Amino acid sequence: MSLPSFQLHRPRELAEAVALWTEHGAAAKLLAGGTDLIPSLKQGLFAPDHLIDLGAIAGLTGISRAANGDWLIGAMTRIHEVAEDPILGREFPLLAAAAGQIASPVLRRMGTLGGNLCLDTRCLWYNQSYLWRQSCGFCLKKNGAVCHVAPGGRRCWAAFSADTAPALLVLDASVEIAGPAGARWLPLAELYSGAGDHPLRLGRGEILSRVRLPAAAAGMRGSYQKFRIRNSIDYPLAALALALRREANGAVTARLALTALNPAPVLVAGLERCLAAALAADPPDLAAVVQLVNRAAKPLSTSTVPADYRREMVLIQARRALEACLA
Amino acid sequence: MASRPQSDAARAIIGAPTAMVDAPRKTSGAGAYTDDLAVPGMLHGKILHSHLPHARIRGVDAGAALALPGVRCVITGADAPTAYGVLPIGKDECALQPDKARYIGDNIACVVAESERIAAAALPLIRVEYEPLPAYFDPEAAMAAPAAGWLHDHRPRNIEKEYHHVFGDPDAALARAAAVCRNRYVCPAVTHAAMEPHATLARFEPDGGLTVWSSTQVPYYLHKTLARVLQMSMERIRVIKPMVGGGFGGKSEVCPLEIVAAVAARRAGAPVKITYSREEVFYTHRGRPLQLTELETGAAADGTILAVRARVIQDGGAYCGYGPVTLLYSGALLGAMYDIPNVRWDGYRVLTNKPACGAMRGHGTVNTRFAFEAQLDELAERLGLDPAELRRRNFLQPPCRTVNGLRVLSYGLPECLETVVAASGWRERRTGRAAGAPPAVNDGRGPRRADRASAPSRRHGLGVACSHYVSGAANAVDRADAIHSTVYVEAAAPLPAPAGGASGGGAASDAAPPAVAVLTGTAEIGQGSDTMQAQIVAAALGLPLAAVAVIAADSAITPMDLGSYSSRVTFMAGNAALRAAEDLKQQIAAALARRWNCDPEAIRCLGGQVLGPSGQALSFAAAVAAALPPGAAHLRGVGTYSPPREAQGGDFKGAGVGPSPAYSYSAQVAEVSVDEDSGQVTVHKIWAAHDCGRALNPVAVEGQVIGSVWMGLGQALSEEMAYTRSGQLANPGLLDYRVPTILDSPPVEAFIVESLDPEGPFGAKEAGEGSLAAVIPAIANAIYDAAGIRLYQPPFTPDRVLRALQARAAAPASGQAATAGQDQPETKPGPASGPPPPSPAGAPPQAGG
Repeated sequence: MSLPSFQLHRPRELAEAVALWTEHGAAAKLLAGGTDLIPSLKQGLFAPDHLIDLGAIAGLTGISRAANGDWLIGAMTRIHEVAEDPILGREFPLLAAAAGQIASPVLRRMGTLGGNLCLDTRCLWYNQSYLWRQSCGFCLKKNGAVCHVAPGGRRCWAAFSADTAPALLVLDASVEIAGPAGARWLPLAELYSGAGDHPLRLGRGEILSRVRLPAAAAGMRGSYQKFRIRNSIDYPLAALALALRREANGAVTARLALTALNPAPVLVAGLERCLAAALAADPPDLAAVVQLVNRAAKPLSTSTVPADYRREMVLIQARRALEACLA
Repeated sequence: MASRPQSDAARAIIGAPTAMVDAPRKTSGAGAYTDDLAVPGMLHGKILHSHLPHARIRGVDAGAALALPGVRCVITGADAPTAYGVLPIGKDECALQPDKARYIGDNIACVVAESERIAAAALPLIRVEYEPLPAYFDPEAAMAAPAAGWLHDHRPRNIEKEYHHVFGDPDAALARAAAVCRNRYVCPAVTHAAMEPHATLARFEPDGGLTVWSSTQVPYYLHKTLARVLQMSMERIRVIKPMVGGGFGGKSEVCPLEIVAAVAARRAGAPVKITYSREEVFYTHRGRPLQLTELETGAAADGTILAVRARVIQDGGAYCGYGPVTLLYSGALLGAMYDIPNVRWDGYRVLTNKPACGAMRGHGTVNTRFAFEAQLDELAERLGLDPAELRRRNFLQPPCRTVNGLRVLSYGLPECLETVVAASGWRERRTGRAAGAPPAVNDGRGPRRADRASAPSRRHGLGVACSHYVSGAANAVDRADAIHSTVYVEAAAPLPAPAGGASGGGAASDAAPPAVAVLTGTAEIGQGSDTMQAQIVAAALGLPLAAVAVIAADSAITPMDLGSYSSRVTFMAGNAALRAAEDLKQQIAAALARRWNCDPEAIRCLGGQVLGPSGQALSFAAAVAAALPPGAAHLRGVGTYSPPREAQGGDFKGAGVGPSPAYSYSAQVAEVSVDEDSGQVTVHKIWAAHDCGRALNPVAVEGQVIGSVWMGLGQALSEEMAYTRSGQLANPGLLDYRVPTILDSPPVEAFIVESLDPEGPFGAKEAGEGSLAAVIPAIANAIYDAAGIRLYQPPFTPDRVLRALQARAAAPASGQAATAGQDQPETKPGPASGPPPPSPAGAPPQAGG
């Protein structure tokens, strides 16, 4: 099966990539690892005139330490390096667990951390060939005006399905965005729009270049719970990350995030307060925390696996993650 | 009598673990699959598929596509209007549909261009004027459709075929049964997912002849179909089968691209290659149909099965294909593994607006076997019997004929069952389902990774089931008197010794040229048919394996064989190869008997030599030279095989399907655990024993058994063709059609049982399919042992399992198994088969229907 025709660019400097990306805008796509983009190109989801390969840019790979002790990971660092780096694995085991469950070993050697964070949203009605999409009427994420998931609405519900995003959200990560006006940092949560048809909140010419993990998050207990039908290859159908630390004074620092259920990864709001109340009871009553997760999750029929089952799974995951981190 | 390996040399080959003779080509990458081929001037074809499930074609305007630079021509149904089909009664499809599209993915037109990219770019430029027709995706609804919803005018109510078989008096027998179980089972469609997508290259030669290279299991049927549709004589057509990357039945009838490539090559005046995308492989399908099975089995108090009644509806999709054969297999093998005197079977093959079904590993038998073996587990519980013991009490007593006329000579099922019962620790480790019983076993590995944090203790369960399969169909699909296989074994006159003689050393002596060539029409598709024939011929002629060259599946030079399907090749072509080798040996022996003045029967082929009774000896090459008639360049031994009349079954309508010269048998035990919070099932181990008659090549047999078990595991746990309400296949790719990964695949311990079939070559019978069916009910029964839930619909995905667990929890404590979420008898269709609103817009996909 052939790829469509495009002009391939291989910039050697980030600034050059930003300039190309600014110049060509919607007529271009960025190529990181390509594990998601290439199949999508073959399915005709994109027909870019230009493909900007970020693979030759020096300085976009590697794991390093900032002067203040924070950790910096280049956007083009391969997922297997994130999953298998021994120091990262000791300081942030949650991130290693999430990265280590992405796709399969071969795909983890191709895929990149930045590519995973910028993963296109996925939907049964979208990740299909031209013929397939034509046969039910094109959807509003691609070429059409209807949503087959929520037929009355005008919103796209395609599910954001990256594994590293919830782990990095609960580790309080931020991301560096390079653009025509220079670089800026923003909290990871602000990268995501919540709209399935344009999931990233990035301006023209902007490229995610680095991820920062705060030193304060190192050593937190974590649990990554992933549901999929097969134990390899599959994207998550419901997944949850929890990071938690019991401070010396008894206070609890905790963050919980979901993926594969909503059009964006969701950092569950109000968790710490709710968890503190839950832990005040003896024995701890986690039902209210699970209920918080229940309210945040919005699984819909974006997959052949029933949405109601995916909801039940994330509730089980919440309970199991809490029990694991509180044990 | 079974031919047994007579000599040490034969024993060193027959039964010895043997590397596949084509392994060097595969492992080095030197071997060519069809898509690897390229010939000068070759163009590329890309097929336009229908995006509507049912529509009349009012016109095709290819003008804009033809205007695209690089496009050479566009062909449509009018270019190949002759209908074809693998069965004489089912010639209902055209390579490109001339007047009607019958499913999303049906074949409408083909663009021929200078590159695949240009051809693909031209597809959306073709304007097809359609008139939509009502579409049906559920077989029971299709049977009630008005005439506008009939897919084929000659098939009223969309019934392709129905049969009604009654043997004995099942109604009376069930009335006196001590226990009767009745259930409805729903098996969604599954497909082959062979690694190699279909590909065909077609070239017209300057003399007007046609050469076709194709990824096929049935070069002979392709040859005949090309002749029919292109209206050429078979002599003008040459079919070559390059290396094939798996078939599993998906290449066992002619697929549209094989005809389209040839028609396109004729129109374009240049060679044309077409390779399917993975999505097109899914639309071509020809896999296992969705099957609705209403099943009733009754037994006496001692466990003797008195009768079985079944009503089977198969959702065949848009075309006939092998349909009636698939359907008949679901009945013919229903009651033929155990001694069941009373059988009623009603079968319906129904047309729907979905990809056409066909043959898939275990053809027609798998879904019925799942239902029957799962029901036996319930029956055993009702009767208070161990499920293995219930099966033991109903074994056949061969040699015998089953109630539907199938001749059974060799029968290793008892030994298979004893083997897996012993190996799995069945008696000690299976507690039988009792509320509150402690975990039966714990393998110490714990639950799957994601659950490790706090999963509750998971109780393991064991389940047993059996299955069987034919060693080739005793009746050919098109001719009752057909020779099923012909093999030639040729030995050429030896070359003169090279100048310089043996003292020259090295090069010549190490690589002695093969002494004989096997010419065979069989299709090596990875299963090992080339190796099998090389072994048989080498053993029969007392030659080392390296002395045998196999030349296969080129219609210009190899004799006819029906093809690689229904597990026929070892039995049928194996016998033909053995007879061809023996014919050659007799020619040599006759000549040497005159020279040595001895009885030809006393001459033996051994260790690369031909030996007389009084110490005479010639090298094999010298013996061939001595036996050559004057002026002849080579000797040719000819062997043929046709099944014996006694194995061809009864004479009732539909009796032709099911009979086989021999049957394989399998027994399996599965060990599973169930995460009762999430419904996730983990299969920990499968013990599988298979009676293959004799293992000519044990490593190949084990590979086939493990592969069959693994494929059945996919149908049991994760594989399912899901359809949307508008008739789209929801998962036409290997990301969402979930074949198990290695992490989902438990250890499979394979045991070979050798029953030495009296008619098989060296006693061999089939090994490639019979082990598939048992794994699905073995897992279902193990899930019941672990968690107390009966599942009536594979795959046993976590959502289905959780619903059943929830229903169990909600059910009154009556001791009865919970069955919610799963349909029960007498009622209408289950979750898989709601009514089929032919709505234009999408809706959530449904399993199966």
